[in-house]
Amino acid sequence: MFAHLSASLVDGLLIGFVYGIAAMGLSLIWGVMRVINLAHGATMALGMFCIYGLFTKLGINPYLGVPLAALLALLFGFLIYGVALHRVMQSGYLYTLLATFAVNMIIIGVGTTLFTTSPRNVDFSLGSLQMGSEILLGTRLVAAVASVVITVALYLFLYFTRTGKAIRAVSNNRAAAELMGISSTQVLALSFGLGTMLAAVAGGLTATFFPFTILSGGAYQLKSFVICVLGGLGNPLGALFGGLILGALEGIVPVFMPVSWVPVVEFGLFVLVLVVRPTGLMGAK
Amino acid sequence: MILQVKNVSKQFGGLQALNDVSFELSEGRILGLIGPNGAGKTTLFNTINGVFAPTQGQIVFRGEDVTGQPAYNMARRGLARAHQVVRPLSDLTVHENVMVGACFGREGLGLRQAARRAEEALSRVGLIERAEQPAGSLNVAQKKRLEMARALAAQPYLILLDEVLAGLNPSEITAMMATIRAIREQGATIFMIEHVMQAIMSISDHIIVLDYGSLIASGPPQEVANNQKVIEAYLGDPRLTERLMAE
Repeated sequence: MFAHLSASLVDGLLIGFVYGIAAMGLSLIWGVMRVINLAHGATMALGMFCIYGLFTKLGINPYLGVPLAALLALLFGFLIYGVALHRVMQSGYLYTLLATFAVNMIIIGVGTTLFTTSPRNVDFSLGSLQMGSEILLGTRLVAAVASVVITVALYLFLYFTRTGKAIRAVSNNRAAAELMGISSTQVLALSFGLGTMLAAVAGGLTATFFPFTILSGGAYQLKSFVICVLGGLGNPLGALFGGLILGALEGIVPVFMPVSWVPVVEFGLFVLVLVVRPTGLMGAK
Repeated sequence: MILQVKNVSKQFGGLQALNDVSFELSEGRILGLIGPNGAGKTTLFNTINGVFAPTQGQIVFRGEDVTGQPAYNMARRGLARAHQVVRPLSDLTVHENVMVGACFGREGLGLRQAARRAEEALSRVGLIERAEQPAGSLNVAQKKRLEMARALAAQPYLILLDEVLAGLNPSEITAMMATIRAIREQGATIFMIEHVMQAIMSISDHIIVLDYGSLIASGPPQEVANNQKVIEAYLGDPRLTERLMAE
């Protein structure tokens, strides 16, 4: 029992790192832009299909595919910002939320036509690691390590580069940053690009161990919201922390109750945190 | 001339905030802008540094027409501003706040140089011992100093100071005045709005006066202080009581 518990906890935590990356993207977009990105899940699904396409059609190793997908997603993020968001940035939360929802519907519509909704999986294995009676998949280990590297990279970028300072300045006070010589349009576009990139990377990593359809993003997007609330919106490190909590829950809960209870527990926690500590467990502001 | 404002008007709907304002400012001077509340002083600053474009007229900065340029562009051209309502980036440290000014100001410094520049600016305004504190934790007087340091670190040609003395106690005012003079020594031109009359009269080379969006006086401090129109704008008609009594 204990070996089983600890192994599935570790397994859950590994996935939690990847959830953390996805949530970090959502959190970055919210923190800097004050935009609730409802296209986040769809972008994750695009990341999954990108890795899948590169792997099955061109035979590109998924771990080479992820950086490629990241680059494409960055550009895709700029495109979405320019076409759908830029003009409504001053119009309030509802408009930006609806704009990203529209983007979400477009991606899902086009995706359904192109890929249908039958499940795919990336048939790729890195072997596994024996841990007690449980087996840890190599792909999950790599995904977790990659997630940590990405988090550290994002942290260093935000805190120790000039551009990072500009992003944090805009996130803090857009008008003041503008008065200090920062073009907020460029920073907003970059932030959306980075957020989208994180979604696609998380999607790509997930695709190496879970089957998916173009609709899979929705569930991950909801998880991302839960994670952001756990970790405190607008706080990248909090997002990773929240991801780990959620991952741990997904590991532990099935040991004690049927799997279908996982979302009940997750969203129960979500509501609980909102009621008890609405600033998030890591408490940004 | 570092700054030329030519026939600038600004309307907000039916409100004429600025009405055909023209003046010039030459390099190395301190120009004071005074006027009653609501006269359009801050609006004038806003049109100069690009927060919004004037409805009519032209702004020329260092020989270039900059009318309607966005604020971030003006900052990069070497126009810095310290605000009446202080706007620190609260979650960043004091040092980082000033670094942002240096990074994205006229010179667009890299991080390492910006860090050094920020330290210099912070020591100049006397905030260096608070460098690692979050900017949000400063008191009002310190935030005003932070605004100054941020403007300074950008190495601007022209600094707009919007009521940097307001809300300060007399000893803080003395210290801030010394800072302003030091900035001028360093070669920057200063254009300041101030309500603390004694201070602005003593520090300015030249004063212009706005009332209801129009320039009503311009001249050396002593002359402006004794100008009949200016006194009226501030105190109402001084002979009004006499006339009422005579009736």
